[in-house]
Amino acid sequence: MERKDNQSPRGHIAGILVEFLEVAITSVVFLKGIYSPGAFERRRYMNVVVQRARHPQLRDYIHSAVSGLLPFIEKGLVERVAVIFFNTDNIPVERFMFKLAVNQSFDSKVEESDLEFSLRSFLVKLSVSQPLTKVLPCDCRWEITAYFRSLPQVSNCKDTELWISTDTKQWQQPPLITPIKSMNSEPLGVQLYLEHPSPSEPKS
Amino acid sequence: MSLDSSRSANSGPQNLKRSFNSNSSNDKGNSSNSKKRKSNQKTLGMAWGPNSLSTSRSSFRSSPFSDFGSYMVEKNRKLQNQFDAEASNSSLSDSSTKPIFHGVSIFVDGFTVPSSQELRRYMLNYGGRFENYFSRHRVTHIICSNLPDSKIKNIRSFSGGLPVVKPTWILDSVAAKRLLSWVPYQLDQLASNQPTLSAFFTSKFSPASEGVFTAAICEVKHATEDLCLKDASTDAKFSEEGEPSEWRKKITEEHDELMRGNTDSKVIEEPSSSYSEASQEVKGVERSYLEQDDESKENNGPQYCPEQPSASVSSHCFDNHSIKGLPHSTALGPSKQRHSTLGDPNFVENYFKNSRLHFIGTWRNRYRKRFPSLPNGFKCVNSHLDVSADTQKTAIIHIDMDCFFVSVVIRSHPELHDKPVAVCHSDNPKGTAEISSANYPARDYGIRAGMFVRDAKALCTHLVILSYNFEAYEEVADQFYNILHKHCNRVQAVSCDEAFLDVTDLEGEDPQLLASVIRKEIFEATGCTASAGIAVNMLMARLATRTAKPNGQCYISPERVDEYLDQLPIKALPGIGHVLEEKLKNRNVRTCGQLRMISKDSLQKDFRFKTGEMLWNYCRGVDNRLVGTIQESKSVGAEVNWGVRFRDLQDTQHFLLDLCKEVSLRLQGCGVQGRTFTLKIKKRRKDAGEPAKYMGCGDCENLSHSTTVPLATDDVEVLQRITKQLFGFFHIDVKDIRGVGLQVSRLESVDTSKQVLERNSLKSWLISASARSEEQCDINGIAKDRVGTDTEGRSMGGNSGVLCTDPVGNSVLRTNNTSNGEGCSNQGLSIPLLCDLDMGVVESLPSELLSELNEMYGGKLVDLIAKSKGQGENSTGSLCFHSPELAKVEEAERSRNSDPISLSRTAAEMKGKQHILDGLQTVPDSGAGFNSIAISIQGLDNNDLMPSSLSQVDTSVLQQLPEELRADIFESLPEHRRQEISTLGPNRDNLHHPLCINPPESTDSGLTNTLWIGNPPMWVDKFKVSNLLMLRFFADMYYKAKSAENLSSILQCTIAESLHPLDAKCDAWNEAVHSFNELLVEYIKLKIVVDIEEIYVCFRLLRRLSTRSEFFLEVYNLVFPHLQVSVDENYGGNLHIPLNK
Repeated sequence: MERKDNQSPRGHIAGILVEFLEVAITSVVFLKGIYSPGAFERRRYMNVVVQRARHPQLRDYIHSAVSGLLPFIEKGLVERVAVIFFNTDNIPVERFMFKLAVNQSFDSKVEESDLEFSLRSFLVKLSVSQPLTKVLPCDCRWEITAYFRSLPQVSNCKDTELWISTDTKQWQQPPLITPIKSMNSEPLGVQLYLEHPSPSEPKS
Repeated sequence: MSLDSSRSANSGPQNLKRSFNSNSSNDKGNSSNSKKRKSNQKTLGMAWGPNSLSTSRSSFRSSPFSDFGSYMVEKNRKLQNQFDAEASNSSLSDSSTKPIFHGVSIFVDGFTVPSSQELRRYMLNYGGRFENYFSRHRVTHIICSNLPDSKIKNIRSFSGGLPVVKPTWILDSVAAKRLLSWVPYQLDQLASNQPTLSAFFTSKFSPASEGVFTAAICEVKHATEDLCLKDASTDAKFSEEGEPSEWRKKITEEHDELMRGNTDSKVIEEPSSSYSEASQEVKGVERSYLEQDDESKENNGPQYCPEQPSASVSSHCFDNHSIKGLPHSTALGPSKQRHSTLGDPNFVENYFKNSRLHFIGTWRNRYRKRFPSLPNGFKCVNSHLDVSADTQKTAIIHIDMDCFFVSVVIRSHPELHDKPVAVCHSDNPKGTAEISSANYPARDYGIRAGMFVRDAKALCTHLVILSYNFEAYEEVADQFYNILHKHCNRVQAVSCDEAFLDVTDLEGEDPQLLASVIRKEIFEATGCTASAGIAVNMLMARLATRTAKPNGQCYISPERVDEYLDQLPIKALPGIGHVLEEKLKNRNVRTCGQLRMISKDSLQKDFRFKTGEMLWNYCRGVDNRLVGTIQESKSVGAEVNWGVRFRDLQDTQHFLLDLCKEVSLRLQGCGVQGRTFTLKIKKRRKDAGEPAKYMGCGDCENLSHSTTVPLATDDVEVLQRITKQLFGFFHIDVKDIRGVGLQVSRLESVDTSKQVLERNSLKSWLISASARSEEQCDINGIAKDRVGTDTEGRSMGGNSGVLCTDPVGNSVLRTNNTSNGEGCSNQGLSIPLLCDLDMGVVESLPSELLSELNEMYGGKLVDLIAKSKGQGENSTGSLCFHSPELAKVEEAERSRNSDPISLSRTAAEMKGKQHILDGLQTVPDSGAGFNSIAISIQGLDNNDLMPSSLSQVDTSVLQQLPEELRADIFESLPEHRRQEISTLGPNRDNLHHPLCINPPESTDSGLTNTLWIGNPPMWVDKFKVSNLLMLRFFADMYYKAKSAENLSSILQCTIAESLHPLDAKCDAWNEAVHSFNELLVEYIKLKIVVDIEEIYVCFRLLRRLSTRSEFFLEVYNLVFPHLQVSVDENYGGNLHIPLNK
């Protein structure tokens, strides 16, 4: 979890954001109780208690997924990062959406503590948002999906290869949105909200 | 009221084991049990919530411990061992002294800044203990920044009677290197209730009462005494019980009673409650200034007649004045002074008093305070000139006083005008003092600044040496800038006697003519000459001044620039010093013409990029700098390297203390605090003998050490401790020290919020107000004196005389006053004395308000403000504070006064007196608040706290108030008066905005968002004047809500308020729904992209409101479809709003 200091402000922000996403996604997975609580250990991040995956594979998956996003976040290509929980039919049951907005034209130094202060509130809010979520069916799986504003050129970066297009089905109807947390502190805006299938969604 | 943590309530033992058992036996998800658990839970360490419980439980299952309790006992033991081991490694303190936090054991609860880990480190390093789990037996202090309401309410069970302290206590203690009393650091939520507006009124009221002779106020005074007695009795109780919190509670209760009882004691309530605080602090060993305040009050109490002290004071100031009038006598003065740190106990003070560099260095700070509206907020006095907008060539005037330091001193000695005169700090026969400035006749003899006096005397035997007269310099510099600011609104101050004016905008006037007018005015006002250069940019203007000197002006037209520069020696260009000149000379470049031959690239290669570019530009007369403002300083410090001789360590410590005081004063003067402290020492080289310059530093090594502390400070004591520590690093013989400097960097400005936090604002007002009451006597004395000398022979006795005895332009100003209307009619009775004003507040007032207040005080206020800036500025006019008309009036007054010298003499006279006041003013400005606003309102009604009706309120004053304050005032008005509030609004222009300008359907089609612009947002004003009760109510909510920029908090507030009267259907029902709908639609538009959470919260609140109020139901139904469309557009879904319980 260390960052290089010799980055441009934008890269710096992207670095913080990626690190935050890693922690937040782990928290989401913990929150949903997909794995037993013993698979996580308590750690301190940004001065709040968070969970960290103990299983190396789980940790690696989350870590490589978000750090693979770093170059795209830096370019401002990533619009949303979703943690999707779906059932055996690949139909999503619940989606945690992180909507990102990085101001590309912002170029001055960012006060890291300010940013941390805002990001911390996500982690705090996330830890108490269990009542907002749905109980998952058993045999549930999950994945991290990123929504891009435009498709990146596959050739120019080998990081891209880590990302494959998703098999997960989409909902037919617009989902129901339940916001969890929003923050917008220049140059970074992050919003976290839940998506659930609308009641009119055809049951499979 | 809030602090009711008493130890007696904690007699029940809290068993760690039991509580944990009860935890683990509870079902995790059961909400009814969890409530119960909370009340059982005395062990704060377990406040992690259900998740952590489950993890720890699972680990416990597999552990060898018999139960949770034994596990925790074991864990705590291990943690302690760990801590001890770390502490023994990292402890900084040497074994000889007791570590700071010896015996202190903290428990950190919740989120803090700095984090608990950092606090732990401090405890490690400074001998304290850090508990991971709360225990009433081991923990001595609970550290937290914030507490939930439930804990506040049940503070006893939370804290177990232990002090709950803010983390700054630890930081400050570390910085101070001793354990500070925790009492001032008690958590705000516990310490005292938030000050209310009425508290502000009262706090100001009682000090003001001291000087006024009305019977009503004397009554109040008695009430104070009564209360003091009561305080005393409770004090006795306090000592018996030895239970501070208990005692305090009683006090508060008593005060509550009193508050309900009668209005008189209500007036006093606030101050006395802070007395109680004072006595508490006495208990906590910390000596508080309130205590002093207490004493001074007692002393002052019976002293209603200030005549007696006045006589001595005024005569004293006249003495002083006469000394100042004769520079010759002062010139002799310094030679009698003791010259080194050896003999003079106040060496540092005297040193800086006599230092020209110090004067110049601190001048800037004073200037900035005097003309605070820099860079763009200048009052455009000449706005009528600012008419045409076509692009004209820029015109810059550079104006510089001619040998300022000499001519100011000799202006009152016409016989010296054509004699060679030099200014120097001493006229010692040894002649090793350096000349700091010489006039033109002296320069003709070859006398230059920096020369030793004896060399100068050798060149010119009849050279007259005069000493500095800093008061006069200040006065002249202020006059100088007053004139500049009067003529031009873009002034860049370079030094106390030099400035750039950008007169491009003033197209109505010829710059040359303007320059000569300014010069003439300067001469008339100050008796000193100034030279001016006029050109198209700052560089050329400056060079032109060089040609113009002395006492002339020079215009360099753009066509003549090349010609002018061609033969100009390069040394004349600013930015070219000895080194650069040498380098260029080596390349055979002596004039700008020669410099022009060299290409830009070559210059940039040889002299680095920036310097090269500067050279290239300057030799072509190109200068792109704009006439702007002065820069923020990066560091503040003081250095003495003359006259420094120490015998022993004690001398040195004494000297360092003085230096710290000086630096602290400068920091406070600049309104900054610093974190990095650098101590510089000049050490005599081994082979260096006694320097040629008397008491000079000679050949020295420069040594320095610096340190950084976690919390910025300007406190003398902290500075002193740091300095002592730094000095310890040097390990040098004090006899070798030839100079010492202390510099503070990493400056942070003391922003108002911090100030309020640190020095409980209410308290500081009291202090500043009543500590000045001593001073008041002196003012009275002077006032009396003036009445006596007044030729009109006004026989006004007492304090009201103070208001009317200002000699300068007073009558004119007074006529202005009367036109002020109702608000002023009471004023003779109600204006608080000038000295009772808190200058920190007055300075931060908007200029219009200030000038209004100034009028009330007949112009004295501005003078006093200038005084209070710490350096004792003098001002006769300060036109920049006045409205344009006022300025003209004063100008007229001035022009009528045919003899400018007599005017300046009055000024000097005033100056003399006020300087004495300055000396007596021991309390530094303590800032913050709306003190004087409070005064002006308070003045409207003497007997009651608040006016009974708004009709008595000066609406113009009211409108100057910040919205929150206004809301507060309205709050305290009787219910039936509220209707009047709305009538106050219409003076604002944006209110004429017709209601419902945009039909809601059209808002989608890209109409600009207007309702949420501004602070307060447009809609608040719009709703406020609306004739619909509902909308007005909602606008009120805006001021009540804590963070009113969010609609959600306003809605929250609305929910909290009772709603039933609002639902009455009226004719304008539809209109109200419509307006509200529009408001919401715009808010959605504003927030939908960035903050869907806020929208979500708002609509949940709205939904809740809609179950209670038909109005909101209708609004909700109307706007909901729009919301869903917006959400769908931005997020591809529908917002799910669950029904509230």
